[in-house]
Order: sequence, then structure tokens, then C-alpha cells
Amino acid sequence: MEKHILATIDPITLSTVWHAFQSLCREMRNMVARTAQSYLIATLKDLSVGVWLADGSTVAVPEGLAGQFLGTHLAIESIKEKFKNDLHPGDVILTNDPYHGGHTNHLPDWGFIRPIFYKGELLFFTLVRGHQMDTGGSFPGGYFANGYDIIAEGLCIQPLKVINRGVEDANLWALIFNNVRWPVETRIDCNSMIATSKFAENRIVNLLDRYGKDTVLGAIHQMMDRTEKAVRAEIAAMPDGIYNGEASTDDDGTILDEPVTVRLDATVKGDEITLDFSRSDAQRPGFVNCIYAATYARAVASTIIFMDPALANFHNQGSLRPIKVIAPLGTVTNARYPATVGASPVNMGGQVMEAVIEALSKARPDRAIACWNKHRGDYTFAVDPRNGERYVRTTFDYDGSAGAVWGHDGMTGPTQLNTLGSVHRGSMEEAEIRFPWRMLKLEAQADFNGAGRWRGGGGVDWRAVNEGSDGRMATGSSDGDVTQGKGAQGGQPVPCCRTIILRGTEKIRVKPHRMAEIKKGDIVVKLSSGGAGVGDPWERPIENVILDVVREMVSLEAARLIYGVVLDSVTLRLDEAATRKLRSSPPAQRYEAVINEESLDIELKPVEGRTGVAS
Amino acid sequence: MKQLTIDVGGTFTDCLVLEESGQLQRFKASTTPEDPTKGFFEAVGKAAAHYRQTLRQFLVDVEQIVHGTTLGTNILITGRGAKVGMITTRGFRDVVEMRRGIRNLHGSMFDMFIEPYKPLVPRNLCLGVEERTLYTGKVLTPLAEDELRAATRKLIDTGCTAIAICFLHSYANGENELKAKQIVQSMAPEVYVTTSHEILPVWREFERFSTAVVSAYIGPAITSYARRLQASLGEHGCRGRLLMMLANGLVQVVDECVDRAVYLLNSGPAAAPSAATYVGGLHDKMVGHRIHHNLLSVDMGGTSFDVCVIKDRGIPTTTDSWVGEHRVAIKMVDVPSVGAGGGSIAWVDSLGLLRVGPQSAGADPGPAAYGKGEDATVTDADLVLGYIPADYFLGGDIKLDMDRSRQAVDRVGASLNMDVNQTAQAMFTTINTVMANLITEVCTNKGHDVRDFTLIAGGGAGGIHAAALARHLSIPMVILPRVAALMSAFGMFAMDLGLEYARSCARRQNQLDFAEIAGLYADMRRQARGDFARIGVPESQLSFQSTVEMRYVGQFHEVEVDLPAEALNGENLQTLLANFHAMYEKMYTYSMPWRAAELLTFRLKATAPHRPVEMAMPARTNPNVEMARRGSRQCLFEGSATRVETPVYDWDLMEHGHEIIGPALIDDRTTTVLVAPGFICEVDAYRNLVMRVR
Repeated sequence: MEKHILATIDPITLSTVWHAFQSLCREMRNMVARTAQSYLIATLKDLSVGVWLADGSTVAVPEGLAGQFLGTHLAIESIKEKFKNDLHPGDVILTNDPYHGGHTNHLPDWGFIRPIFYKGELLFFTLVRGHQMDTGGSFPGGYFANGYDIIAEGLCIQPLKVINRGVEDANLWALIFNNVRWPVETRIDCNSMIATSKFAENRIVNLLDRYGKDTVLGAIHQMMDRTEKAVRAEIAAMPDGIYNGEASTDDDGTILDEPVTVRLDATVKGDEITLDFSRSDAQRPGFVNCIYAATYARAVASTIIFMDPALANFHNQGSLRPIKVIAPLGTVTNARYPATVGASPVNMGGQVMEAVIEALSKARPDRAIACWNKHRGDYTFAVDPRNGERYVRTTFDYDGSAGAVWGHDGMTGPTQLNTLGSVHRGSMEEAEIRFPWRMLKLEAQADFNGAGRWRGGGGVDWRAVNEGSDGRMATGSSDGDVTQGKGAQGGQPVPCCRTIILRGTEKIRVKPHRMAEIKKGDIVVKLSSGGAGVGDPWERPIENVILDVVREMVSLEAARLIYGVVLDSVTLRLDEAATRKLRSSPPAQRYEAVINEESLDIELKPVEGRTGVAS
Repeated sequence: MKQLTIDVGGTFTDCLVLEESGQLQRFKASTTPEDPTKGFFEAVGKAAAHYRQTLRQFLVDVEQIVHGTTLGTNILITGRGAKVGMITTRGFRDVVEMRRGIRNLHGSMFDMFIEPYKPLVPRNLCLGVEERTLYTGKVLTPLAEDELRAATRKLIDTGCTAIAICFLHSYANGENELKAKQIVQSMAPEVYVTTSHEILPVWREFERFSTAVVSAYIGPAITSYARRLQASLGEHGCRGRLLMMLANGLVQVVDECVDRAVYLLNSGPAAAPSAATYVGGLHDKMVGHRIHHNLLSVDMGGTSFDVCVIKDRGIPTTTDSWVGEHRVAIKMVDVPSVGAGGGSIAWVDSLGLLRVGPQSAGADPGPAAYGKGEDATVTDADLVLGYIPADYFLGGDIKLDMDRSRQAVDRVGASLNMDVNQTAQAMFTTINTVMANLITEVCTNKGHDVRDFTLIAGGGAGGIHAAALARHLSIPMVILPRVAALMSAFGMFAMDLGLEYARSCARRQNQLDFAEIAGLYADMRRQARGDFARIGVPESQLSFQSTVEMRYVGQFHEVEVDLPAEALNGENLQTLLANFHAMYEKMYTYSMPWRAAELLTFRLKATAPHRPVEMAMPARTNPNVEMARRGSRQCLFEGSATRVETPVYDWDLMEHGHEIIGPALIDDRTTTVLVAPGFICEVDAYRNLVMRVR
């Protein structure tokens, strides 16, 4: 870029061009959500869009799931290498392949990449990627825990042109749709994403027409430089040092009941950060593995959130430049073909994020972030008797809540740190119309979250009865029966979770990463814990504890045992003397919330020698 | 007979009188937040004084009053609403608190430092009772009346003055909600009761419940205010009809809106876009062809700055609104807003940077210049810069104290190492940037380039800042309507009397029961006829507009399509489907005619159209603009530290064809317009000011 052009871009044009890309991405995301038919994409917004320069530099990534789109530069590089001069206006490339140049999280995430030309010159790429309701493979939805290899997980589409200079490749489509369940529905969602990428192309070309290529590119580079400068200053404000983080998933679904761990050494030096995952476990036979792009994307996303929130609307390639991610091939953070990856977004992917926030919460205590709930999702597959059609149901509705951050309690309701809150809750009314399950309960439970000076959002009790046919339920990438997301700065971790099927008088526990039979009339109960805490609960302001008790989010017992606040059991009035005495020294015994597997209630148990409470 | 519109804003109460001759008279008084009726009658009193009449003499001659108020919005934003209890289906008490996600529309995914959502009803006042309706409308579990009574008693004992009844699937069958309402009302007749299906009979529980709770929260205050106002008008001899301005751009009588208080949110701002289209159309007519395809209606009052993007005359509506952190899913005129106005307070943030707003000094204590408050506001900066007159603010009704303004501004500047003039200039620029950013965001969010728009600027402070905004955004033309300071009040003359109805009933295109749909519409029309009959509007004056929300089978979001005028049947269904595909294609660039469509929510809008407003065109007497000259003020402009002697003109004396080259100021009893250096300003036939960059 010529220097004189940079100098002549006035601030209004700069900000107009910048906001044009940001809002273009928001509109793209809305357009997919409004036209797609899958519950995951349309209602929960399990989708991502963005714009990159021809060299793969990230221009705009305002909203989406980190793992779906922050590693896209790698796919763009491989597409350029593969197609070389054979990229043309009107081409659309589809890929869902983690390997072979696709750099995708896992197979259900189908991404449509469109090269955008202006006056014959390749200037941009745009990506629209959504979680398809099916992608072939052993089990609907792509969450089969025991696939022999990735071929068993579903159709692997390496970057291929499904549209060539505006003409669809009918043979390729025929092959693809012959190998997925619900081919018509999947096709609709493909249309939705392809049309959205075309919309983006039109908009970008208009922008180029209006301001000229040099101005648009100049504005983009200037914004990248400005952002990089600001992010570097933020990193420089962290004390130099090596900070560790570590997080585990319950098991890999194939070797059962053996946790799998991601380990991070984060080195802050000057204005750069290196995130090194070398000490992580070796890749697994089960489906929890991450490929490099997926690890990279989550690692940088969870670093960016430690920057000044005032920069939140600006992140781009400039934010990524000072961050380096090391993940050796053969570890769970960079699996080698043909390792299975179905559950990677939530499982190892979630652990990558938890490890990063643990490490960086030590580097910036004043921006400490505690873990959110562990995912409690499933894929349920049966027949809807109302229309005789097969259905697959998945949602995030049964997930717990946000973790605390320094200065704020976690909110009750948001689902998964992994999505940074950009995935939405569904509507129960809508779900009942769509699926033959009647909701019995969806409510927060007192005490069922990590305590802290700032506590996590409430844990959730979700119950529904199966009014459809017998079928199967894959607990897929759900997690957290034994592993617990950590608190920060002395905050408590998230409590352990449970999924139980009530069949008559029987109580059947279903662990994560398993397959279970479900019968007509079964009641599925999911006890999904809330977020973790930040800071010592013993230091939580007394008035906040009282408010929590009044609002039935904290029990009287927890107020006393966990927070050191004594209230009258009838009037809920503070017993000042008793509280002062109790809080005058650290607690002799810490307590935590535990599920009573008989009553399915939450009760308090002494914390035993476990290292769950962060030091 | 005269017609009145009265818009009570955060800072000023605007009153516009339309005489039978088509002449408009403008009056402004300070808003009185503790009891807005005071400011209301003060403004009306000024109007009466203008006609040398007593309040009673004046009001007897008033045929109709359209009234907009920020009361509802203010209550919601400042958290001063009723103590609300919520009664809901057992097992689902956290629906509103959990929302759909951690952020409302405006947050970035990379910002994690967000205060958790604080619902209007604290958790201990959300009580579940045994009851259940299915999505089919079938009542699976009848309402457990004993539980309901116990819950009601608990809420009343806790001091709740409003109760929202929110049951699952009540849009499909409101029986249980209605039964609960009856019982609550019989137990506590003084409590304000709202049911979710009566407020918003549309599926999706979070949106419906949240809207109902908001309505209950502001309901008691709105009711008591509207009733009090109606009674005092009666006592003062007014026999005309009092109509309230609603969020959806319609107006309605008091009795019809107190039970739907949520519709009074954004009352006021919802009317400004109509004023802008009217003025744009007027200007087109004068020019002889359409030049103003795209209008940007902006309204800068004392507290807030509202923007509406009007493309091809269509006033946009949305069901995606958030008011503060609360979701309000009724259909509203789409008028995004930021806290920027004449009363916006300047402060220095923790990074040592100057900020202006969103806090406002309002009408009380008001800007430092008013003599009560100490905070430096935008009005103080405007005064220091010489833009507004110390002795002619609101026509001299409010004396501005220059010394106090200078001291207040100077205090802000002290920590910035800036003198009073520099600080005032920085405040002026800062507030303009805040407003320009909102405009850019709103425009680009809709895919428009702001430079393709004509700026129609209103609000008391709009005239001073319009030129700077236009320059900032490279907007070529600005129109300041003669009624600029009372934009919303003016827009209210253009409002239809109306109500909207809806019924959710999901059916695929091949499973439609035309008789069932006809039944829904018969039912809605019956309701509409009844509602209008109660307020004395005969059926012959009503016009109906029917729409249906449609989507392709399997999708989750709908497109609203016009229904044919006659009842839906097998034949015109094909037209409807074709229209749906076409509309879908227009919105999303493709359609799927091979895919079946679903019809979901049927809507009916019933309106009694207003009389067209005919404005009088003032006569021309003197082509020389100097006849309108009324002295000069010493002003500071951007980029210069020296004051410039700036001529001042009297808007009342300006005539069609007059032209002024900036810098100049145009004073009026309700506002001042700054013709910034580099701008040229022309007076049109209706005495609107048209400013262009020279």
C-alpha cells in the first residue's frame, strides 16, 4: 500500500469502511439465521461468517464461534495453493474437512468460501460456515463417539468447487446429498449460506466501486495497524512471565472414564504472547481431538478477551499478529489424520479455552475470567409420531450458565464459554412444536454453581418427557460429570453435572460421550451446573449474599458454609455478630455443591483434598 | 376548532397548535418529571396566552389532542417502575432472567466484562403455579386455583402493585391466563394485572414474557398518569378527544392503552419520522420532482438523540427492539437512540479523556446556565461558543447565565489543561461525534451509505448541531423544518388512529383450513369493531390491513406478507405464495418455490385514517433578508481561537427565497439554527430552512 494513500484517508472514510465490513458480517449472520432451517443454525446461531484479504489476513470477524472461523486463514492458504490460478469470479468452495487443507473444526461445520474479485483481481475471501444438522457417518449429527477413524464420522469434503464460475457442479452435489440424512433440509441450508456469500460479494464490490480499491484496502490496513498497536500495548501491560493452565474432559468416548488433558504454558514477553500446548496429552482414539486450526482459533479468541473491552469491536489481523500458538502434531491439540474429531469443538476445544483463561487470569488478575458451565448437549434421534418423520434434536438449552469475571457475577442462562456467548438459547415453545418432547422444567437451582467473591450464574435443572418413539440419545460432546471448570483468584470451580433417564422407578445415569436407548415416556433429567466463581467466596460482599438468599439463588446453609454469612432462617436478617466472628478467620473447612443422585437435589459437601479450588 | 399535539420529552414539553386555517403555532415548556401533567398544562397555558385566552376558553375550542410521552421509557430506563410479581407455569420461573444470551443486540462477542442481566422481576417474585397448555391450544393441566391464590397473596403481601401472568403456549389458548387474571383481579382489584397473550399473542416465551413484564412494570404509572391527565383536561373544560401516541406509529384513546402500557414506550420518538417524510414530501412538491428518496430523520432534544432511516418513504418498524437491557417484542417504529442532547453532561473518564453524555441534566437541575445545576452540558458549551442567545432561550422564558456556563465548562477543562473556549469546542465536537457514530451505525447496519440521504433535523438542539453533523458525515443537504424544535409533536398530526391484533396459528400451505383462518379474522375484526365502537369510531371509518408471517417449512424466522383483501381461498393462496416467494427473493436474493411454505402468525391492523394536514403557505413581503436581522453574536468556530462576529436573524421574519451565507445564526422562540461557515441556507415556501455546503 502506497504511503500517500494511507495519509489521505480521512477519519470518516476510515470508520465508514471499517464499519461497513463489521456490519456486513452482522448482516450476513442474520441472513443465514433467517433463511436456514436447522435449529442449530437458525435459532441457536451455530454459525460464523467473516471477511479475509486475498493473502488470508483477517479483516472482520465480529461474531461467530471461534473454532469455526478464526483459523480460516489456514484454509485460504491451502485453497490458494491447491487452485493456484484456477480461482474465478463466481466460484464457491465447500469444505468440512479438518484435514486435506480444509482446516475445519469437525465435519458438521460446512464452510462455503468464496473468492471475491474486483476488476479481475482477487482481493478478498468470504466464509459462511454453519453447523449442518447432518453430515453422514455412523450416527445422525456427526457425534459418534466410537468411530474407527474420521471416515466413519461422516462425509469428508476437502476444499472442492461446488460452484464453478457460477455453475453448480451437479454431480458433486448429487454425491454429497446422497450421503447425508435429510438431503432436502441440508440443501436448504447450503442455499442459505451460498446466497449469503453472494450477498457479501455484491456488498463488497459496491464498497469498492464507491471508495476505490486503494482507499478500501488502505483503510483496512490502517485499521489493522491501529488494532495491532493497541493489542501490543495491552500485552505489554501484563507482567512478563510464564503462566500455566490446564483443563480436562471426562474421557475420549472410546477409552472410557480416563480424563484427557490440555496443558498450556503461556509466555508473556514484552508485547507478545506465545501459547504453547506441547505438554498436552497425546492424541486419542476417541473423538475429542482438535486439529491445529481449531486449537489456534480458540487460543487466540480466549487471549483477545483479556484485552481492553473497548477494543472488542475492532479485532482483526492486527490483534492476531502478536499472538503465537504452538501445538505439536500428534497431541490432542493437533491431531494427525485420520484421528476422529467429532466432539473437538466442545471437548478439547473447550479445554483449550479453559487452559488459556486460567493462565491469563493469573497474568491479569483484574481481568480474571472464570470457566463457564460444561456442555450438557446430546443428539437425540427417533421418530416424531405426529408426522411419521425421523428427527434429530440438539440444542444448547440444557446448558448451565456464565462464569464470573472480575467485577461481575456470571449471568444465569448463557451457554458455553466456547462460543463466547454468541450461541443463543432456543425457545421451549418452538422446540415443543418441532420435536415430540414436552418440557417439564427449565429452571436455575440454588447453590448449583461455583461460589466466589463474584459467583457464577445459576446451574440449570432441565427435564423433558419423550412423547415420541423409542430411539437413541448420543451424549456426544457433553462433559463435566467428573471434570470441573476452574474458578479464578480463589473462586470455586463449577460443580459436577449429571444426566439421568427416569424410566418408571428406574434411574439410569448416562455419562458424556455415550450412546443410550430412550423409550417412549422416558423423562430425561439434565442437571447442568452454573459457572465458576472469581475471588474467595469468604470475601463476597455480605449484602450480595443476603440478596442471593432472598432471591433463592443461595441457600441459608450455603450462605453460612461457603460465604461465611449467617442469616436468621425466618426473617433472613443478618446476624452481624455471628458473621463477623465467622469471617474473622479463613474457613476451617470449605464446602461445595454436589448433586444427590437419589433425590437429584443439590446439597453441600466438604471439599476434600481435591485441587478444584484455585489457589 | 383547533387540534393540539403535545410531546413530553425528557427535558422539554412541546405543544403544537394547528389552527383551522392551517397555521401552526409552537410552544415549549420545561418538562416536570415528578408530575409531567404540570409541564403539560404549562405548555398549553402558553398556547392559551398566545391567543389571549384563559386555559378554559382555549381548551373548550380544542377538538383533539394527540399526546406523546417519554414517561414509559424513562421509568424503564431509570428503574423506577412498579414492584412487579410474575406468575408463571411451574418449573419455568427463570425464562426472563435467562434471556436468549448474555448480550442484547449491541455487545461484542469479545467483551466478557458484562454485568449480568437484572430482570425487572427478581427471582423470589417469580412464582410458578401448576397449569399447562400445549402448543395445540389444548389445556393439559387446568390452572391450580389454590396455588394461584397462594402465589397472589404472597406477591401482594410483598408489596407488588403489578402482576404479570405468563404461561407457556398462552398464545395458542389464553384460557388459563385469563382465569388467573380474573382471580388475581378479584383478590386485589387495585393491582395492575397483565397477561402475556393479551400483550403479545405470539409464540416464543422469552419475548412474550419479557414484553408482558415490561408492560406490568410501567403500567401502574402510565395508567395513573393518563387517567389523571384525562380528568384534568375534563376539569379544564376540554371536550376534545385525548389520543396517546404509541410505539407502533398509531394513536389510541386512553382507555385502550392503559392495559397495554408497553405500547407507550417510545411514544413521541415514534412520531418524528412521520414529520420528516411530510417535510421531505413538501420539499419534493416545491422542487417539482422527487429529490428526497432517502431521509435521515434525526431529533436532538435535551436528553436523547433519535435516528430513523427512511428509505423510499417507508417508515421502518421492528419487532427486535431492546429498551435498555430489556427485550420488547411488540412492533415498534424503528428509532434507535443514544443519550446525546442539550442536557448531556461533560465528564472526564478514567483514561483522562473528555466524554459527553449519556447522562443528562434534564430539565431539573438542567444545564449550569439555568442557575441550578453545576454540571457543564452541551447547552453550556453552545452558549459559551456564542451559538445560543442568553436572553432569548425559549423566547426568553429561560434566562441563561453565561458566567455559570463558563465556570462549569472551565471546571471540566481544568483537568484537561484546556481553557474554557477550547473545552467548549471540544465538547461540541465530542457530542457531534457521538451522534455521527450512531447515524453511521444505523445506516450501515441497513446497508445504506449515509451520503445518499437528506438530513431532516429536529429537536430543540438539532438546529445548532445539524450542520456539523452533515459536514461530519458528508451529507449534502439538511432541512430544518419550521417546526424543527417540535418534530415529534408535528409528526403526531400525521398519525392514524389504530390498533393491531395478532393470532398465532401454524399451518403448512397444504394443510390450511380456510374456514379456520376466516374465523380468526372474523374474531379479530369483531374485537376491532368493539374496541373502536367504544371510542366512538363507526365501522365505516375503519380500514383493515391483513398480513401473515410466513416461512419455508423448517425455518425459524418469518417474513411478513400482505394477505389478499378478500378471505383467503384456494385460488388467491397461489397469489399469496407467489408474493411470499418474491418478497423472500427480494430480501435474501434467492427463493425456494419448490419448498412448501408455512403460515404462522396472522395479523390485522385496524385504522381510522387521520385528516390530511394542510399547512398554510406564508405570504412573501420583502425579498431583502436584512429585514430579518436582529443583531449579532461573537462566535467561536472549529479550528479557530478568535471569535467571529456572526449575524443573527429572526426565523419568524424570514421569507421564502431569503438566502444566508454562513456563518450565521437564526433564532426562534423554540430553537436556534447555526448556519456554519461554509454552508448556505435558503428559506423555502413553508419557511423551512434548507442548508447546503457551499
